[in-house]
Amino acid sequence: MSKTQKIETTMELVRTLVGLLIAYVIALVVLFAISDDPVFVIRQFMVGPFTSARRIGSIINLAIPFTICGLSMCFMYAVNRFNLVPEGIFMLSGCMVTWVALSLGESLPSVVMVPVLLVVAILTGVAVAFIPAIMERKFNANVVVVSLMLNSIIGYLGTAILRYKLRDADIAFLGSRKLPAAASLPKISSFKIQSGLFIAIICVVVVAVLFYKTSFGWKMRLVGENPSFAKAVGLSAVGVSFAAQLIGGGVAGIAGATEILSNYERFQWTATTQHGFDGLLVAVLAKKNPALVPIGALFLAYIRIGADVVNTTGDIPTEFVTVIQGIIILLIAAESFMSKTKNKMIFKAAQKDAEAAKSKAAA
Amino acid sequence: MADEALRMQNITKIYSNGFIANKDVTFSVGKNEIHALVGENGAGKTTLMKILFGMEEPQEGKIFINGVEEKLENPLHAISKGVGMVHQHFMLLPSLTVAENVTLGVEPIKNGLFDFEGAVKKTQEIADKYNFKIDARAKVRDLSVGQMQKVEILKALIKGAKILIMDEPTAVLTPQETAELFEQLFTLRDDGVSIIFISHKLEEVMYICSRVTVLRHGQCMGSYDTKGMTEADLSKLMVGRDVVLKIQKAAPVLGKPVISIKNLVKINSIGKHVIDGISFDIHEGEVVGIAGVEGNGQTELSEVLSGLGSFASGDVELNGTSIKGKSVRQIRDMGMAYIAEDRMVEGVAGNMSIKMNIVADRFTKKDFKSGIFMNDKKINATVDQYIKDFEIACDNADQPVRMLSGGNIQKVVVAREFTSGANFILACQPTRGIDVGTAEMIRKTIVRKSREEKTAALLISADLNEVLECSDRLLVMHKGKIVAAFPKANEVSEETLGEYMLGVREMSKEEMEALL
Amino acid sequence: MSIDWVEFLAEAIRMATPLIFAALAALITRQAGMFNMGVEGMILCSALAAVAFAHYSGNMWVGLLGAVLVGLLTGLIIAFANLSGKTELYLTCIAFNLAASGGTVFIMYVLTGEKSTTSGAFRSYQIPNIEIPFIKDIPVIGRIISGQSLLTWVAVLSIFLVWLLLKRTRLGLRIRAVGENPHAAESVGISVKKIGYTSFAICGLMAGLSGAYLSMSYVTFFMKNMANGRGYIGLSAQNMAGGEPVGSALASLLFGFSQALTTTMKNQTNFPTEFLEMIPYAATIIALGVTGLIAIQRIKKTESAKAAGKE
Repeated sequence: MSKTQKIETTMELVRTLVGLLIAYVIALVVLFAISDDPVFVIRQFMVGPFTSARRIGSIINLAIPFTICGLSMCFMYAVNRFNLVPEGIFMLSGCMVTWVALSLGESLPSVVMVPVLLVVAILTGVAVAFIPAIMERKFNANVVVVSLMLNSIIGYLGTAILRYKLRDADIAFLGSRKLPAAASLPKISSFKIQSGLFIAIICVVVVAVLFYKTSFGWKMRLVGENPSFAKAVGLSAVGVSFAAQLIGGGVAGIAGATEILSNYERFQWTATTQHGFDGLLVAVLAKKNPALVPIGALFLAYIRIGADVVNTTGDIPTEFVTVIQGIIILLIAAESFMSKTKNKMIFKAAQKDAEAAKSKAAA
Repeated sequence: MADEALRMQNITKIYSNGFIANKDVTFSVGKNEIHALVGENGAGKTTLMKILFGMEEPQEGKIFINGVEEKLENPLHAISKGVGMVHQHFMLLPSLTVAENVTLGVEPIKNGLFDFEGAVKKTQEIADKYNFKIDARAKVRDLSVGQMQKVEILKALIKGAKILIMDEPTAVLTPQETAELFEQLFTLRDDGVSIIFISHKLEEVMYICSRVTVLRHGQCMGSYDTKGMTEADLSKLMVGRDVVLKIQKAAPVLGKPVISIKNLVKINSIGKHVIDGISFDIHEGEVVGIAGVEGNGQTELSEVLSGLGSFASGDVELNGTSIKGKSVRQIRDMGMAYIAEDRMVEGVAGNMSIKMNIVADRFTKKDFKSGIFMNDKKINATVDQYIKDFEIACDNADQPVRMLSGGNIQKVVVAREFTSGANFILACQPTRGIDVGTAEMIRKTIVRKSREEKTAALLISADLNEVLECSDRLLVMHKGKIVAAFPKANEVSEETLGEYMLGVREMSKEEMEALL
Repeated sequence: MSIDWVEFLAEAIRMATPLIFAALAALITRQAGMFNMGVEGMILCSALAAVAFAHYSGNMWVGLLGAVLVGLLTGLIIAFANLSGKTELYLTCIAFNLAASGGTVFIMYVLTGEKSTTSGAFRSYQIPNIEIPFIKDIPVIGRIISGQSLLTWVAVLSIFLVWLLLKRTRLGLRIRAVGENPHAAESVGISVKKIGYTSFAICGLMAGLSGAYLSMSYVTFFMKNMANGRGYIGLSAQNMAGGEPVGSALASLLFGFSQALTTTMKNQTNFPTEFLEMIPYAATIIALGVTGLIAIQRIKKTESAKAAGKE
């Protein structure tokens, strides 16, 4: 049996890597097929992200929201609720944080301002995540559909708030007034990396500890794996999954706020930003394990920056990355992907064991 | 053999979790023969039959039908070769009619559309031919269990089955229905159908089968003519030693009542009284068994007692407090432990570690925490101790439960439930589908805990031997009611019990009270 | 501020047409036991296929055929991932919709060099609208019913065909059997996989028609993210009707009204557009809540009625 477990663990890792590799190769083939100068474009895509300190910094900066959103989706995924509302929360949290920051103005010092804004972000996330969760609990409404509809509504709501409440009439485009200086997160000097990095690291540690070292994390994982069993041993399956969704919402709120406060001087999103779906990809890559989320996030950031580089230097639209993203999710989540190889290995191991036992018996 | 209908040769099947279900199994069935396939639970009978029906693919081995080698890739292919299967758990569509269920897969067509009248006619024809009484227009959800099984058999026959696999067909039937089934099987046999009869009930095997093949731990122990064999011979082949069913136990010393059930009524979603006015107490130090044909309210009773199901009226008091409106958590804290009927659904979380499964009911308690975190040291020590105590065969406590064998999974369940400190143990089918050794351990522990720790136990089981041997008092459930009570379970004969289980006889309230 | 209500009703029917197709698409897979959110992405792919095929062949019927074929193909892709790849269906659909939203933009760019719409690069084709003699002269009804797209009438016909398929054909019986108990269906030799693929294929046809209507009838070009939640709304519509074809169509009509309300008020009033745009989505959420509540109440009622009656 020990062998079986080892084979399973190894194969899980190999599967993930092969899945990523296949998706990556598909990306390369697509680039090759449509580009006038395929060799240059492919080199740009693969190596481009590492060619300057600024680009490496960009990878890390991009991985920050991916990490926090990935953690958020880990909560949803862990309790098996595809509550996709982090997509909307990311935008709305940025919007609400801007609103509060503009209202407070320069009255508060940074050390007070930033925590206050993070609290606002968390509350926004919890409040929004509450809607699909309660709709499912009270009315048995499908959480996926409700959360998707809610994301559409939030896209318009955020834009409306921006247009009617936050708009800076003095600029040509639709953007809010400038955020107060006390609200912005500083950069870590030399590599232009955001201090949001610290927020992301803290989030990873806190969430990982919550998942694996606290009774709530245990409850969550048990409920996600087998709700009937959780009920039979006296856990409130409904309550736990409800709470997990709210916490996940709160984490998504932090992600949106961190992004706005570190990278923007005005709020200017007029649609949801795809970060929620990116978070889902990261959570799938990390197999709902918060500790692995940063790795998934870095990988996603790497191919995104690669696509950006190609877009600016080779004129290939970045949208092709979303296709690659979809393929990655499918390959990694596909149970039967490489299952034959795995079963063959297990069969061989079992046969070997049987033969060993036989020869032992004969002796 | 010239008239060999089926030969399965050197079949080996290893499941993806490494479990060897069949190892080099060879057996054959003649024409006009009812052939028994016997073996303990987990001996590999069901797997072997799934292979024959194209539902599982063996790694090695050949299958010959009428002397021709066939590769049976899926059920459709198996059916086309004349293999039919009556599954242990019925494969029926309750919302459709009998005719639709029977003809599904070979639906009659008229003008390009499904011909319902034609389906009714075809069903009626084949039912008449084999003397099955059934209403082809009835919805399957309105049928009795015996009738449902007839639908299952008709489903196979209408597709021209010449080799009929019957997987424990009598497990859910009353003796009368069983007798009727046997008559029908004889008719089928004389009509040229080969029947493979899988059963645990050796007397049935001896009665209707001419030959028998024995499986043990996935290996074939040979095929024999039933003539000249005795049930004892067979059981020796099956388990390799005499079956010890007697459990030595001292007379119970009763204390105060632990659980008392008063006029309990539960009504299901279609308005049926699934529990219909049940009252009884279980005292400290006694094991009460509930016998009954499955589906007579036992499952619902266990759901109510465990707090997973609600009830309409009446009351249940556990250690002096009513469980009405209490959550599972609260009822467990009041002293209940629950071995659930279906261990993979309510007994364990398969993908989770042995550790998490063992402490699943108690890790939220203060003892297992230090501050806001889990107390890993304490948990690991506790779990390792239980793994040792209950002899759970595993690599370590972090191994996912799904990688264990059925018996070891059940050991994980009982390691949790027997150690929870509860004084009321609710055990539902605690030994179903597991190896003899583990089953014996579980039965003995239930009895021992009642004697040494004064626990009260309610044992709900379809295994008659088990309820008769483990229980002090025995109750019989039929149609949601307690229809009989016996103060000394091991003195009840199976015949008497059968009559009560089938509703042929019923004790009056006074009779029962007098007996208890 | 005056609103042209007749135009509003005609618009409601126009809006309902793609939703009816979407609902029927989702309904077929639901009857086979699968909650298919991929309809959204399928519609999007078909809509692009319609204009591309029409443009390159110079024939709108080839465009329609292309849309239907691409719908079918995308259905099979989801089926492959879910049934053969054993990926969880929710995840499959989310991944597929993600890929479709980016992929359509990418393909549009490769074909036209544009990233938001094909209106400049591709010739526009319109599926003919049907003027019904006599009826078109009736004052109000004429303006509503006559002059609707041919595909609107195809949608009406499809409601009947889907009903016929499910209730009166062998395939329909098998689809329902697989949906109710896949093991039972498998045990009589019905290939659950095959039925799954088939229902996804039919679903794809319906989604294809929905997409074609959007880009060749409602407007005559493809636009980024053109499905705009219609797949999800259709899914909710059939959910409201419990998987019944006629009920699903009526629910789609209801959502058509809510969308028409948005466009009509946008054109004819000066209410803030952002809030108008929310209407269809909010309506969907409310409808899901209300139908859920009704279903729960009904179960409670029958339970208590039966309990009371029997005691």
